[in-house]
Amino acid sequence: MEVERSKRMRIDVDKLPMKRLHAIDEIGNEQFPLDKSNEEQRLSAIHRIDFSVLVEKENEKEKEKNEKELSKSKDGQQQTWQGLIENLQQAQHELSVILDLISTVEANDMVAVAGMQRPKPLPNEALADFAVSAATKVQCLRHLGKYFKQSSKAMEQQVSMEARFYGSLIRLQQNWKVKRQRVGGNEGFTFDLFDSSFSSASDATAMTRPSHMSTISIDRDTSGMLAIHLPQKSYHTLSLRFLGDDDSSTCRIKSNTSEKKASSSGSGMAWQSTSKESPMDEDVNSCIETTHSILRDIHRSLFEEKVFDMVNREAYNSQSSQGINVTGMRQDLLQLVIGQDNSLCISLVLSEAERENKEKGKDDSYNEDSSEMFSSSALVPISLPTDDKNGPSRSSSKLALSSNPVLSLQIYLQSIFHQEALLKAKEGRGSSGSLLAHFCMTAAHRVFSNKVLSILENLVSRVPYVELVSLPTWHSRTSSWNLRLKVPEASSVVDGGSQKQTRRSQFLTNVVIKDGQISLRGQSSATVVASFTGDAAEPHSVNAYSCDLEDFPMFILHQVASQVIQWLHEEALVVGMKTSMDMLSLKMNLEQGDILSLLARVDPDDASACISWVLAMLPSGTEDAVTFSFNQTDSENTRLKSLGSLSLESLHSVLMDLANICGDSTI
Amino acid sequence: MNKAGGPSGGGGGAGSGPTASSAAAAAQKQRSLLQRLDNDISNIVDSFSLLVSVSRVNEPPVRNSQEAFLMEIRAAKLVQSADALLKLVSELKQTALFSGFASLNENVDCRIAAFDQEAETTEKILQRIGEEAAGSLKELESHYYSSVARNFAHE
Repeated sequence: MEVERSKRMRIDVDKLPMKRLHAIDEIGNEQFPLDKSNEEQRLSAIHRIDFSVLVEKENEKEKEKNEKELSKSKDGQQQTWQGLIENLQQAQHELSVILDLISTVEANDMVAVAGMQRPKPLPNEALADFAVSAATKVQCLRHLGKYFKQSSKAMEQQVSMEARFYGSLIRLQQNWKVKRQRVGGNEGFTFDLFDSSFSSASDATAMTRPSHMSTISIDRDTSGMLAIHLPQKSYHTLSLRFLGDDDSSTCRIKSNTSEKKASSSGSGMAWQSTSKESPMDEDVNSCIETTHSILRDIHRSLFEEKVFDMVNREAYNSQSSQGINVTGMRQDLLQLVIGQDNSLCISLVLSEAERENKEKGKDDSYNEDSSEMFSSSALVPISLPTDDKNGPSRSSSKLALSSNPVLSLQIYLQSIFHQEALLKAKEGRGSSGSLLAHFCMTAAHRVFSNKVLSILENLVSRVPYVELVSLPTWHSRTSSWNLRLKVPEASSVVDGGSQKQTRRSQFLTNVVIKDGQISLRGQSSATVVASFTGDAAEPHSVNAYSCDLEDFPMFILHQVASQVIQWLHEEALVVGMKTSMDMLSLKMNLEQGDILSLLARVDPDDASACISWVLAMLPSGTEDAVTFSFNQTDSENTRLKSLGSLSLESLHSVLMDLANICGDSTI
Repeated sequence: MNKAGGPSGGGGGAGSGPTASSAAAAAQKQRSLLQRLDNDISNIVDSFSLLVSVSRVNEPPVRNSQEAFLMEIRAAKLVQSADALLKLVSELKQTALFSGFASLNENVDCRIAAFDQEAETTEKILQRIGEEAAGSLKELESHYYSSVARNFAHE
């Protein structure tokens, strides 16, 4: 059995190269050949090329494979080792082919490569390659994902910024003119506050103040909020002042926007955004409101500058015959003399906030981030918010309640010029008259009417039975009052059973001031003028006359006194007395022929009472009782009895007593 | 209130301008804007679709780096198209601001009417205030002259 096995078993041993065999010495050490030169290597390589040998080898190998396959089925473990040996041999074979090929190429021999076949990758190799590719792709996609996220975030911010900016701009465009301009390749926007209604073709050559405030450039801050660039020191307000008044009477008006905070950095940015990166809608709304109010203030300031320019122009062109004389003219100031008494100063001054900033200086705490420099020319309401810093406002509130007409005059000046501008804009024509002349006459009228009013109030305070009633005329150059003399109600008198007599309960005197002219109109027993001139006049007439300011108190008192006399006369007639009126006296004839006269004495300078009464016994034939009484003194003649200042009731009772004395009473 | 200014070429409809040339310019502008819009949208869509198609994992590993570069390029192009779209939107907003004459004029007319109405209302209020002031003044005067203070002062 063992012999048979030994016969069937074949052991193949690789053939060692002869050279190597020869190189092995008796001991067993292999003597490696020395390094050959390139040529020797090349030659040896050429010699080695022997494909027939290789073919034989392959045949032998195939036979061996078959034999191995047979032997494999018999011995598994030997086949495994044999397979390994075979693979190594194949690898060696292929490597040798490649080496031969390389050496042939090195020898510059032409070698035709029939074909190269990549060995099919194993499944694990294919999967590994696929996994690497997938991982690479996933990493690339993740990187792209991050990139897209960043881009989307940036675009969202940009979209929101654009929405904020353009939304604000569109909302502001509803009220303001927005223009686009391109400066140096950069596109920008501006607010154009120029008002064309004030300019016309005829005004092209007129003196106009160049206003750099009419164009406001728009910018946006880092958060996309709209901001405006404002030039500094450019807010002016119109100021009216009567020369001789102190500064407290000067009309300085403060805008409500001063309460709103706005930044005024060196670049003049009006709105400084909050530190938030994404402002809320409320911030946007407040930004728009602030911008709108700032633009309104600028517009108002421009309007007041225009008003001043127009006033200047009209003063320059006006004739002195209109009663206006220019006594001073500067770039921002105009002094006028109206008539002979009134001096008016119209000027352009810095706004409240700018003056405050100037006074406080750069060290002011709220100069950098918040200032009131944009509060210019809004009208201040009468009731102002309580504020300790609000000194000027207290004086202006006093002004509003006092008789100082400066504030109302300023409003009126702006109003009439605004109406003029509107007329020009709508109808293309202006008013026929000079506005400045009209305004100056209005101012003069205001001053004059105040004087007249003070006189009237003074007189009325000293005459208890006279009331001063204001009559609003709603005309800028006309003022009117009524002096009402209310007589006491008397009992109705029955004259033989006949009907009641209707008697007046009051006497009215109308005082009208028109362009410096005083007109009086009222009922009296005789004309007051006639009392001065001695002319005869019809009694019980409604008369009208003019006077000047100096004679005005006397005229008024005469009128009132004559009305009292007239009332007394009527009362006397009612009771059946035979009386007659004469200027300021009521005369009653006595049986002896004497005349008992009740005289009115008027004295505007009397501190206690302006109208006092004197009872006089006049000799018969005396016509002018008033003159007679002036020529007498109480101490010299017992014919005069001073009754002093009496109320109407007292006068009536005196009259009744006189009636009894006279004995002509029919009561 | 004055009408807005701005460039004459606007986004208004064709044929609505005062002259044929301005109408043609407006139409041309409209076409160009639409063209830009279409280009941007198509760029975005193409870039995205190509990104998706290139995202497929291929067998040869050599192509992966090439495809990665291609994906980056397409992503950049996508973002650039989106940015161009945003700019187009800004431009459209500016056009609406400055060239929408019909809407601007209508807005101006509405504001003028509103302000006129307010002016009338204010006038009426002022009249009413004046009348009330006159009435109050008259009442105060009658109260004063019938008051004890004035009568006592003269007694």
